[in-house]
Amino acid sequence: MFVALLEAMPDALVCIAADGRIALVNAQAERLFGYERGELIGQPVEILVPDAARAAHAGHRAGYVADPRHRPMGAGLSLAGRRRDASTFAAEISLSAIDTDEGILVAAAIRDVTAQLRMKDLEVSNQGLESFIYTVSHDLRAPLRSLSGYSELLLEEYGGVLGEEGRGYAERIVAVSEHMGQLIDYLLQYSRVSRAELNLQPVDLGEEAALIAEEIRRRDPLRRICFTIAKPVQALADRRLIRTVLQNLLDNAWKFTFGRDDTSIDFGTVPNGYATVCCYVRDNGVGFDPAYEGKLFQPFQRLHAARDFPGTGTGLASVRQIVERHGGHVWAEGTVGAGATFYFTLDEKESA
Amino acid sequence: MTSQTILLVEDNPDDEALTLRAFEKSNIRNEVVVLRDGAEALAYLFPGDGDGAPRPALILLDLNLPKVGGLEVLRRMRTDERTRLIPVVVLTSSKLDEDILDSYRSGANAYVRKPVRFSDFADAVRALGVFWLRLNEPAPGPGPESD
Repeated sequence: MFVALLEAMPDALVCIAADGRIALVNAQAERLFGYERGELIGQPVEILVPDAARAAHAGHRAGYVADPRHRPMGAGLSLAGRRRDASTFAAEISLSAIDTDEGILVAAAIRDVTAQLRMKDLEVSNQGLESFIYTVSHDLRAPLRSLSGYSELLLEEYGGVLGEEGRGYAERIVAVSEHMGQLIDYLLQYSRVSRAELNLQPVDLGEEAALIAEEIRRRDPLRRICFTIAKPVQALADRRLIRTVLQNLLDNAWKFTFGRDDTSIDFGTVPNGYATVCCYVRDNGVGFDPAYEGKLFQPFQRLHAARDFPGTGTGLASVRQIVERHGGHVWAEGTVGAGATFYFTLDEKESA
Repeated sequence: MTSQTILLVEDNPDDEALTLRAFEKSNIRNEVVVLRDGAEALAYLFPGDGDGAPRPALILLDLNLPKVGGLEVLRRMRTDERTRLIPVVVLTSSKLDEDILDSYRSGANAYVRKPVRFSDFADAVRALGVFWLRLNEPAPGPGPESD
C-alpha cells in the first residue's frame, strides 16, 4: 500500500535512513536521476547532490533529523539535483519525516523545475524586449518629426529655389516620413498589445461589426456597399482589442473592393469544433494569390502595390497578434480577382 | 501679470524650432518663453519669493524632460495655489494609455500628441492657440495683493 502510494506520486521520491543512506526510491526518482533502483539503495544520499553542495549537505541532513518538520528544503536557496551522468538540474525539494520500526526515515520529494525557471527567464526577457520596443519607437518619432517638418518648411519657404525636381524630392521625404511614422506606430501598438492585460467581457461581435460598417458608410458615402452582418455573435473578448480586429478586417474588405460597383462585405460565423466562436469577413474584391496566404499576416508584408492600395502592411499582423492573445488563430482564403475571406477563432480548446 | 505669455517646456531643439514656427504660421504673436527641462520650469514658475512670479496664459508641457519630468512639474503646479489654475496642455510624442491617464490624473487640461507631419502639427498648434488664448475664459486672477 505504502509502496503503491510512492509510485503514484507525480514527484520523484527518495527516502533516507538515519545513517544518510538511501532506503527507498520510486520510479520517478529513477527516471529523474538516471539510476536503476538497485544502484541507489544503500548509497549515501549525497550521490544525488551536485559536487559543490555535497560537503555541506551532510551537516544540513543532521540538522533536519534533529528538528524533523515537514518543510521545503533550503528555503530561499536555489537547489539542484545531480544525475548519474554528473549533469545537474534545478530542483524544488520538500522534506518530511516518517517514523518507522527501523527509526526515522526522511522522505524527500523532488521536482525538476528547469522548465519553469526557463519560462520565467523568458517572460522577464520578453518584458524587457517589449519595453525596449516601446522606448525605441517613442524615441524614433522625435527625429522623424524634424525630418518631415524641415522638409515641409523647405517646400514652403524655398519651393521656388528648389525647382520642380527638388520639390519632388522634398515631397518624397515628407511622404516617406509619414510612412515611417505609421511603421513606428505599429511597433508601439505591437508592444502595447503584448503587454496589455486582457479585459475579457461579453461582446456582441456582430454589433461591433455593424458599428464599424456604419462608420465606413459615413466615410465613403458615394460607394454602394452591401454589408451583410450576422447578429448577435456573442464572445468573451477584450472589447477594445477585438474592435481593432474587426476594424482592420472590414477596412481591408472596403479597401480591396475599391472600384467595384456591386461591393458586398459579409460578417458571419461558421461552426468550428475547436473554438467557442469562429467568425469570417468576406468580400468580393481583388482577392489574393493563395500561395502567399502565409505572408498576409506578417508585419510590413504587402501583396499589393502601394500605389494601387495604400497601406503599411501592419493591419493583418495586428489582427493575428490580437486573435492569438485571445487563444485563437487567423487564416484566409482567396483567389486572384474573386474576393477574399478572413477567418478568426477565439478561445480554442487546448486539446484541439 | 496681464500679458498673454505662452510657456513652452520642451527639451528637443528641433521640436522647439518647429513649434515656434507653427505659432508664427498661425499668427499667434504672444510672447513665448522656452524652458528646456523640468527643473528650469519649476525655477521659473516658483522663483525664490512670492513676488512677481510669472503667470503664463498657457503652458505647453512635454512629458519626457531632463532632470524633472513633465508629470512631476504638473503635480507640483497643481498643489500650489499660485499655479493651480493655469491651463496646461501636455504636448508629447507618447500615445501610451498610461501617459494619457497619468497626465489627466495629475491635472492636465488637455493632451495632444505631436503629429509627424508638420502641417498637421501646425494645425494642432493653431487650434490650441485659438482655443486657449481666445475662446477659453481663464480663471480670474487674484485681486490686488494686500499684506
